[in-house]
Amino acid sequence: MASESRRDLILAAMIRVVGSKGYKETSVADVIEEAGTSRTTFYKHFEDKHECFLAAYEMLVEQVFAEVVAECDGAQSWLQRVESGLATIVRLFALDPELARTAVVEVAAAGADARQLHWNAVARFTQYLEGGRELSDGRELPENISLMSAGAVSGLIFDELLGGRAAQLPAMLPDLLFAMLVPYIGPRAAAEEMRRVAAAS
Amino acid sequence: MAAARGQKRERWRPPRGRHRLPPEVIARSQRERLLEAAVRVVAEKGYAATTVADLTREAGISRTTFYAMFDDKEGCFLAAYDGIADALVRRVSAAYEAEEGWPSRARAGLAELLEALADEPDIARLAIVDVGAAGPAAQRRYRAVLQRLTPLFDEGRDFAPGGRGLPANTSRMAIGAVAGLISDEVTEGRAEYLPSLLSEVLFATLVPYIGPAAAAREVGEKK
Repeated sequence: MASESRRDLILAAMIRVVGSKGYKETSVADVIEEAGTSRTTFYKHFEDKHECFLAAYEMLVEQVFAEVVAECDGAQSWLQRVESGLATIVRLFALDPELARTAVVEVAAAGADARQLHWNAVARFTQYLEGGRELSDGRELPENISLMSAGAVSGLIFDELLGGRAAQLPAMLPDLLFAMLVPYIGPRAAAEEMRRVAAAS
Repeated sequence: MAAARGQKRERWRPPRGRHRLPPEVIARSQRERLLEAAVRVVAEKGYAATTVADLTREAGISRTTFYAMFDDKEGCFLAAYDGIADALVRRVSAAYEAEEGWPSRARAGLAELLEALADEPDIARLAIVDVGAAGPAAQRRYRAVLQRLTPLFDEGRDFAPGGRGLPANTSRMAIGAVAGLISDEVTEGRAEYLPSLLSEVLFATLVPYIGPAAAAREVGEKK
């Protein structure tokens, strides 16, 4: 098997194991077992558990982002893009609770550099969806609007995942949409979108 | 008053050796010293690298004394966390209740929150950043503190026209937005600049209830 794909197997295994046991409890031995590879191979690619986790996390972010972009590409409007983007995230997380847990909850336990990767990913996601400045009618909106949406949405998702309720995430899509849209279009319009999405499901 | 890194705060300690003081007084003083030490050490080294030996050394207590109070470092951390959370919520609630009318109350509470964290950067770090590394019990504590601040936000439902029709989770969204802004600053090591975020955190709080135009007006009004 090519070296590259052995490396990918290890990264995928890291995401699995951390998602089920937690970062602290995860050992290199666990990861090797899950990947079906050897210690020698592991240490050929990675210095230690931490370095492997950071690489795995970066891979996870690229995978999720690729799915989001693929789904959002056909979107007609900014509103549609936000809805597609959030719908993609909740679907991915509900289908793969271990990935979700690693991405959102366990990353906090993996050190400052891991937390930074997480925050960068969240910021990247919300900025990708942002485009909403056009709707502000030239009003002066705070610079950090996308940080606010990021915090609101990731807080809601975090709570569900901390409670082990990944399967409930799709049901939260209307609320997540409201949270993301409201700083741009206000509560009345955001609530309309929220009700439309809730009715469609 | 914030102590400079590495400097111990001046604080009364019982004299070494056999004490005439009642055991409860000694124990309380030792516990307080230990919890304060925990904040300093974790802020400096991070939770993972902190050991019980670090804590006992910084607090000036013995291992035996430590283990009489806590089972392990996690137990000590959680106790420090609870103390911080209670003090913070009390301060913020008092500032909130001292005002009349929702946007003013929210503004006062948020201003107090930012001041309290800026005054004690080590505490801010522990409460917001190190909590993630300390395990699920600590993470739940963090979420619980956010929940306790819900009243600052929920009053918006009564204040805003049509507020009753808003999603039940609106206060959690506002809290999440504020937490995100604060967390970003603290993670960057800029806790002392938190008070300058007041306009943004106030906007984030008001916007899901009254919309961006009204929120921007309200924020701009009393700078």
